[in-house]
Amino acid sequence: MLGASLGAIGQGKFISKNAYISFYSSTPLEDILGESNEAVTILNAETGEIAFQALMTTFHFKRALMEEHFNENYMESTKFPKAKFNGKIEGYNSSMLNGPVSDIKVTGILSVHGVEKTLTIPAKLGLEDGKLVGSSKFKVTPENYGIKIPSLVRDKIGKEMEVTVKAYYAPFGQ
Amino acid sequence: MNRIFAIITGLFLIIFSGNVQSQDLDALLNAETKPTVDFATATFKSTRIINGHSVEQMKKNQLEFRISHRFGTLNNGPYGLFGLDQSVIHFSLEYGLKDWLMVGAGRGSTNKTYDGFAKVRLLRQSSGEKFMPVHLSYFTSLELITLKFPARPAGTSNYFSSRLAYVSQLLIARKFNQNLSVQITPTYIHRNLVKTELDQNDIFALGGGARYKLSKRLSVNAEYFYTYNPNAKFLEPRTYNACSVGVDIETGGHVFQIMLTNSQGMREGSFIPQTTGNWLDGDIHLGFNISRVFAFNKK
Repeated sequence: MLGASLGAIGQGKFISKNAYISFYSSTPLEDILGESNEAVTILNAETGEIAFQALMTTFHFKRALMEEHFNENYMESTKFPKAKFNGKIEGYNSSMLNGPVSDIKVTGILSVHGVEKTLTIPAKLGLEDGKLVGSSKFKVTPENYGIKIPSLVRDKIGKEMEVTVKAYYAPFGQ
Repeated sequence: MNRIFAIITGLFLIIFSGNVQSQDLDALLNAETKPTVDFATATFKSTRIINGHSVEQMKKNQLEFRISHRFGTLNNGPYGLFGLDQSVIHFSLEYGLKDWLMVGAGRGSTNKTYDGFAKVRLLRQSSGEKFMPVHLSYFTSLELITLKFPARPAGTSNYFSSRLAYVSQLLIARKFNQNLSVQITPTYIHRNLVKTELDQNDIFALGGGARYKLSKRLSVNAEYFYTYNPNAKFLEPRTYNACSVGVDIETGGHVFQIMLTNSQGMREGSFIPQTTGNWLDGDIHLGFNISRVFAFNKK
């Protein structure tokens, strides 16, 4: 029993199957917000490794046409169905999981539209009402991931997208 | 006893966690991702292939305003600016009540016709967890001709029902790959009143349409409606099968469709049984459809 309760936090793995990911761009002409509540993520409490996966088709928009263009014209979701992130928390120690939410940094590889880039992103991790929560806000530039935006709609789509991530983790295998 | 139990549990945990650790997090995530049904989306760029309906629907709470023009025939020559001196118009408002149900109402200048329609999606092409080879939709419309009745012999009368025509279509389409989509459209049209006894009240036709994407925002489309029981050839004006070619150009919230067609009417009840142009004689109309979509979602 003692072993099992120790295993709950500080070792083992944590998972969230309905993590929130959104991206947002704002221009005077149009605001674009795509949101998914179906991303999956795992955090390895022993090594501080963290991984995310999201199916492009789980992102939803206010305008149905935006969603169609997102999948058809920009992300090419049939060719590249998933976005992934595999990274590691910098200076990780397991106390980060037991304390209140505090700032951390995560370095890893973000794979979007078949293009991989190494990023270091600011994030927050810790306990919120007894639940392990991880969140992050960072910017990505679509052009860096081979996503071409034609001049015709250039004014409507921001140069940078603000990505927001939030996940409530539960012990893996429960 | 308790101590032995604790040791065994501890050993088990060490072995277990060791095992898990050696697994790649990515592989774990793959295992946790539910298998999905992948629906074929954007089979066509618009709810029309050219004149006829495609399997595409207005999604829920999305309103589309459409304006279409067909000019006169190209064989008008330079004197009539290749048909541009004359034009007919159709405009409509079309709305998605559900993702699978859209309704619309419009008015065309051909015979001063009002129309109302509904399109229901019955099946969606999908792969992955659920396999479905085609999209299947049902389209139905009612057309009301408001052109003034011609003078009648004394003692006879006109009826409101004489102004009505009914259209039913099955839309069966498959997106073969990112670029090629093909649709066949069995069609039945009933017109309550036709010009002469020799004209057909019931029309059976089979439509075929396709689009091929040249780039992400440009596609070429073609459409043909074969009528099984057209009017006899000696009836004036002679009718032909409707045949159209065009391009779709997508610019954000708009889709422009520009076409060449031998039909001037833009509703099923007019372009399927009443196309009077013959491609071989140069009775070709230049035309375009423009649409703008408005979203009425709460969020």
